[in-house]
Amino acid sequence: MAVNEENETFVHPLYEALERFPGADVGLTTADRVLTWGLTNALWVFPMATSCCGIEFMAAACSRFDLDRIGTIARGTPRQCDVMVIAGTITVKMAPRVKKLWDQMPEPKWAIAMGSCAISGDFYRDIYSVVPGVDTFMPVDVYVPGCPPNPDALFMGIRRLQEKIRLKREGKWTEPELRPDTPGLRSPAIGRLGDPGRDACTSQAQLDAVLGLDPGGGLRRPDQKS
Amino acid sequence: MAVGHGHLPEPVAALIRARAAVPNPHLDVESYDPEGDLLVLNLGPQHPSTHGVLRVKLYLDGEVCIKAVPYLGYLHRGVEKLCEKLTYVQITPIVDKNDYVAAFSNELAINMGFETLLGVEPPPRAQHIRALGAEMQRVASHLLWIGTFGLDMGGALGGGATLFMHTFRERESILDCFEVLTGSRFHYNTLQVGGCRHDIPAGWETLVRQTFATISARIEEYESFVRTNAIFLARTRGVGVVDAELALSLGVSGPVLRASGVDYDLRRDRPYGLYRELKVNVATASAGDCQARFEVRLAEMRESIRLVNLLLDGVPEGPINVLKAVKLPGTVKPKPGIGYAAIESPRGELGTWVVADGSDKPYRCKIRGPSLHALSLLPYLAPGQNLSDIIVTLGSLDPIMGEVDR
Repeated sequence: MAVNEENETFVHPLYEALERFPGADVGLTTADRVLTWGLTNALWVFPMATSCCGIEFMAAACSRFDLDRIGTIARGTPRQCDVMVIAGTITVKMAPRVKKLWDQMPEPKWAIAMGSCAISGDFYRDIYSVVPGVDTFMPVDVYVPGCPPNPDALFMGIRRLQEKIRLKREGKWTEPELRPDTPGLRSPAIGRLGDPGRDACTSQAQLDAVLGLDPGGGLRRPDQKS
Repeated sequence: MAVGHGHLPEPVAALIRARAAVPNPHLDVESYDPEGDLLVLNLGPQHPSTHGVLRVKLYLDGEVCIKAVPYLGYLHRGVEKLCEKLTYVQITPIVDKNDYVAAFSNELAINMGFETLLGVEPPPRAQHIRALGAEMQRVASHLLWIGTFGLDMGGALGGGATLFMHTFRERESILDCFEVLTGSRFHYNTLQVGGCRHDIPAGWETLVRQTFATISARIEEYESFVRTNAIFLARTRGVGVVDAELALSLGVSGPVLRASGVDYDLRRDRPYGLYRELKVNVATASAGDCQARFEVRLAEMRESIRLVNLLLDGVPEGPINVLKAVKLPGTVKPKPGIGYAAIESPRGELGTWVVADGSDKPYRCKIRGPSLHALSLLPYLAPGQNLSDIIVTLGSLDPIMGEVDR
């Protein structure tokens, strides 16, 4: 099967041809191995590069690290790609676009979450505008940790993805346990302006300390050393 | 404002100029085009040429832009709010991610802001490390810009990605120097209030000297590469001309402003740190177009390489931090007050405005990023331009969306 979803029933024409003639189906395993080899070694990636990890992705695609040598070429459109690399922080405003681009990619497709922001939101996790990990709204196959991960780490992630594809097609893959309490888009810990739950700078002493400042007198510049 | 179409035959260019005579960023599209014949094109937010997640809504008449409206906020991470939740020591790694191709400059700006509150001055050795890092970061950032500008040009520079591959090779060697110094490739977390965290290791100076000697030779190569390229000149000369008055009124700073003929550089005009003793030659150009911005950035790289070599000669011995117990997050507690510090980052004036209330966390931390101001030029530059020229113009302004949206 050339798709990675159980409910899809696309059969490669090569299989149909082999099954039509009696005796030729002994070639099925060889054909399967050839297709797997082709699939794992031509993973074209769609860089969903939003921030810092995108720069590191560019470094990985460039001359020193050279993603091309493992058959991984970055393309600018989702319709030509097999793997989406989510590199960078995904905000609430950006998440619908990411989902849309993911839906536009043809099957078979895989996703790599690159960097802490894409994996869990990192230290922006509690901010009102940041999605705490892209696996809250789309499937992710491989997680590459780091802030940002080195290009070497991205290479490792792609090799692990190739391994996963191979094992899955050989029927040796066991799905890892789903996290029982995967967080969704939850209410942020730092409230928006005007929220009653916004607890920062609420103490009167703190407010007084700031309101009592003389902006002219308090303003010090580097060249005006106190 | 002049509109450049150097690559078009003159009658066509004249026609385009006549169509969009006065670029008006606040044009009422409804009354301009009541029948709705204009093509509305969304550039981004996922587009390789927008240098991030910028979305620009373009109203096109044929291929000529009538109005451009940038939509921001696709990378809004609430950094300023996050700073209020963290202690002064914990903020440094957060601001690394603002302008993510010049992390050292971010750290420098925010820590200098905190130091004005505390009234401390880093020791001379730390000042040297800071100035060295800032200048190295400037070269690395401009190298990345030249590479991505080559990408924006498409096939103009011998197949698009050629210049990109070349500049990234050099950028990697600078990142190696930073990795030896701080242990990290580009989110360093190396500065802290009152000085630095990492001292210069043995043999580092030789490594930096060798690296920058190579880069110095390679810059000549890029220049010859570009100066003889007729397509590059045709696509940049006279395209995206920034008026000096307009740039000043929008608060633009850095190479974009200097390319418009305004001789203003914080390193020389309001010196901080080691720049009080250094003489910085400021590169300017008068044309204000994309080519001028390219020239200014090339000249800045040369100047930065000169400064790096100069600074490496005289690194003094001594401590690298004036504060002793800065490793504990809660120990830095400035008195109530307001502090502002600004540095010349690779993109312009990067300022930090901090309000302290006497606790170990800032009450308010405002970051003034130069990218937002450079990007606000786009609605003025885009009307009257071809779609392909808008990409070049946007690339030459060098906005980093992490700093625009914060």
